Amino acid sequence: MGNDNSNEPIIICRDVNKWFGNFHVLKDVNLEVQPQEVVVIIGPSGSGKSTFIRCINRLEEHQEGQIIVDGIELSHDVRNIAAIRSEIGMVFQQFNLFPHLTVMQNVSLAPRYVRRQPRRNAEESALQLLARVGIPEQAHKYPGQLSGGQQQRVAIARALAMQPKIMLFDEPTSALDPEMIKEVLDVMKELAQSGMTMLVVTHEMGFAREVADRIVLFDEGRIIEMGTPEHFFTNPQHERTKLFLSQIL
Amino acid sequence: MSGRTPEFYVAPTEAPPSRRPPVTSIGPLGWVRANLFSSPANSVATVITLALVIWFIVSFLSWSIRSAQWGVVYNNLRLIGSGLYDRREIWRVELSTGILVLLTGLSLGIWARVARAAFVAVLVTLGIILLVPILAARIPQPTIHTLIEPRKSPSDFVFVGYKGETVSFTLAPQIDLADLDKPMIGFIEMQSRAEWSTQARQARAGELDLAAYNLVVSLRLVDKTGRTVSTPDGPAEVRFGPDAPGGELEATLPADGWYVLKVTRDDEANGERDDNQGYAWLRIDGIELFSSQEGRTATREAEFGAPPQVERPLYAEEKAYRFEGTRTFGEFINLQIAPFFERIAMPLALGAALFANGWVIGVLGKRERVVRRWTLISWLVAAPVILIILRGFGGSRALPLVSTSVWGGLLLTMLLTIVGITASFPLGVALALGRRSDLPVIKWTCTLFIETIRGVPLITILFMAKLIVPFFWSGLSNIDLTIRMMIGLTLFSAAYLAENVRGGLQIIPHGQIEAARALGLNPFLTTTFIVLPQALRAVIPAIVGQFISLFKDTSLVAVVGLFELVGIVDTIVSGQPIYRPYQREAYFFIAIVYFVISYAMSDVSRRLETSGAGSLRQ
Repeated sequence: MGNDNSNEPIIICRDVNKWFGNFHVLKDVNLEVQPQEVVVIIGPSGSGKSTFIRCINRLEEHQEGQIIVDGIELSHDVRNIAAIRSEIGMVFQQFNLFPHLTVMQNVSLAPRYVRRQPRRNAEESALQLLARVGIPEQAHKYPGQLSGGQQQRVAIARALAMQPKIMLFDEPTSALDPEMIKEVLDVMKELAQSGMTMLVVTHEMGFAREVADRIVLFDEGRIIEMGTPEHFFTNPQHERTKLFLSQIL
Repeated sequence: MSGRTPEFYVAPTEAPPSRRPPVTSIGPLGWVRANLFSSPANSVATVITLALVIWFIVSFLSWSIRSAQWGVVYNNLRLIGSGLYDRREIWRVELSTGILVLLTGLSLGIWARVARAAFVAVLVTLGIILLVPILAARIPQPTIHTLIEPRKSPSDFVFVGYKGETVSFTLAPQIDLADLDKPMIGFIEMQSRAEWSTQARQARAGELDLAAYNLVVSLRLVDKTGRTVSTPDGPAEVRFGPDAPGGELEATLPADGWYVLKVTRDDEANGERDDNQGYAWLRIDGIELFSSQEGRTATREAEFGAPPQVERPLYAEEKAYRFEGTRTFGEFINLQIAPFFERIAMPLALGAALFANGWVIGVLGKRERVVRRWTLISWLVAAPVILIILRGFGGSRALPLVSTSVWGGLLLTMLLTIVGITASFPLGVALALGRRSDLPVIKWTCTLFIETIRGVPLITILFMAKLIVPFFWSGLSNIDLTIRMMIGLTLFSAAYLAENVRGGLQIIPHGQIEAARALGLNPFLTTTFIVLPQALRAVIPAIVGQFISLFKDTSLVAVVGLFELVGIVDTIVSGQPIYRPYQREAYFFIAIVYFVISYAMSDVSRRLETSGAGSLRQ
């Protein structure tokens, strides 16, 4: 399947358009993401940034344009979708942990039944991942017994368990109490440093400034401005960008 | 602090010691106050409700203890248990029950935590059931009454006695109108009762002169060989004539076995039979009536030999007598509870032993994967094995065919329920998933099926299964009625289950499905591991409610001619004349059976709801 030739973009979006009914959500979105790149997507609510990253693992279908992930174009072909989903991990705003399964089962479920790993291997790697996100001691608890920050870290471990090449983060800290945001961001930083390709929708400007290779500003369904954090925070060009930054900084 | 709030306040460094709350707000008194008499309306409601409940309980207990006749239940336990199932093959029912009990014990040992209180309760119950018959044997037997009439030749009373027992026979001539008002308490021979009712009415109307009594009656107690039993005062023999019309004959029995009380009326003393006048009751004390059940008759004859042959025997056999008068609590225990417990004690003790075996194995082996796996496999194998054991094969000698048409009683009720539950559950889940399918044809078909079934009463479905379906498709008329009823119940229950399950599916947040899809789980894995476990757990109460309904609805198959619990009780009280007066007792008993099983089911449901991951939600 894919290769790690770093000259080839791992995600290519060309003229992506999407409608919800008559509402035009994504308008001619073009974006290429290089392997190991961290792209932070910011923008006001309803600007289509979440919809955009959900299109990348086809939780939403785009109607026009091309999305190519690791050399595979997203189409109606079910095999393609399965192949791409196993390349992409996703972390949701609401964690979406499986409440009826223990932390361990949450993390090892997909490797066991999608990758068909033996139970013991799956559980060993799950423990390693839980250690990596800093909560190995919670393995046998249920999600409902953990704090929000811990749950989100489990969600990250769960996504990593499939050994994805790309991680999508859809506002991972928006549902957290302020004192728990840092623990999640620290995990994400560590992940970025390890060379994971990441697309992060977030409002955490500190994170964006510190970790992102590129920042993308969405508004009204299209990309308004794109650039390095330095460019973005010190020398924004578009009026909309300036307005947005002035409101949130 | 002088009324005004000071501008500045600092609490003393030492906090005041904690005091107990006022006595009226804690403990039993506080509870009563807060819950039973918190307001005038509440007080009135409490008093009225409690009064109603107490009234109901007292009247029920009074009926049950003083006048109910539970013989219809304890003499028909085999019918109630397995209906008309071939009695030589009854071991197959017992074996099947044994398998289920053993597996249940095993599974509970492995997977359930049993509270100590439940253990104690079971042991105490079992102990009571075993002990009551033994203790009841010490309570004196009620008096047995039989009427001596002027024309009809008196019968000889045949009974079983035991060495050292004292028996007494009293002849009580009815010569006074006042005698009519004396209550009779004890067993009264049924024909005597009928005759005496007529005569007493005539005596009251003045058409019969009781005082004209002139019977001469002799009583003689003989053993099986016809020898007169001897007492310290000489042979057990007495003659009551004009000078001493009534009196008592008492004797201590020399050995175990059959005895006969020879009753002779001397007609020549009054010239001839037509000149006899008056009635006398013969009262017999210290003798236990024996059971009319075939099995017990056989045991008795093996022990004591066949009953002695006499010309006009009146056997001390339960079925010829009826209990009359207000019973004491002792008599209630002795006559109603003890025989019942005596009959169920052995099977229950065996069942408990089996259960305990399974349970111990389960507890010891709960950490062993092998034990758990084999328990699951055993359950899967048990179902077909039990059906094969119960039904057998045509032509087989070891397991001859027992047609499902003779399956009945609790056996049939449980089979209909178990088959209905195990078949309708997967079907209901499939229908619920089908109704939410994206494929229109499947969706419409499932919806049509569910709505059609839900739109008709169960009884019509059962009648259709019985009458109409074979008419449309002759192949189906070969399937016997019991199987067709199982199918009818299953389809009916599945339609309702489907709606319950669909309710559960609807409450699963979309995020769960998205998360599963994002992990690469295909729709089948998503449904199996993510959606169904959560959806089903959420609707456990509704599902178990449906199972309980199914269990109770099995009683409707009585209407199409199967003899499950209700059907067999119908048959007992309408088919055996001696039990016809005891419909209340019989139906009350099966009501208790239905209640106990339904309650157990809902209790299990409550435990499932609060156990494991289900109680720990986000």
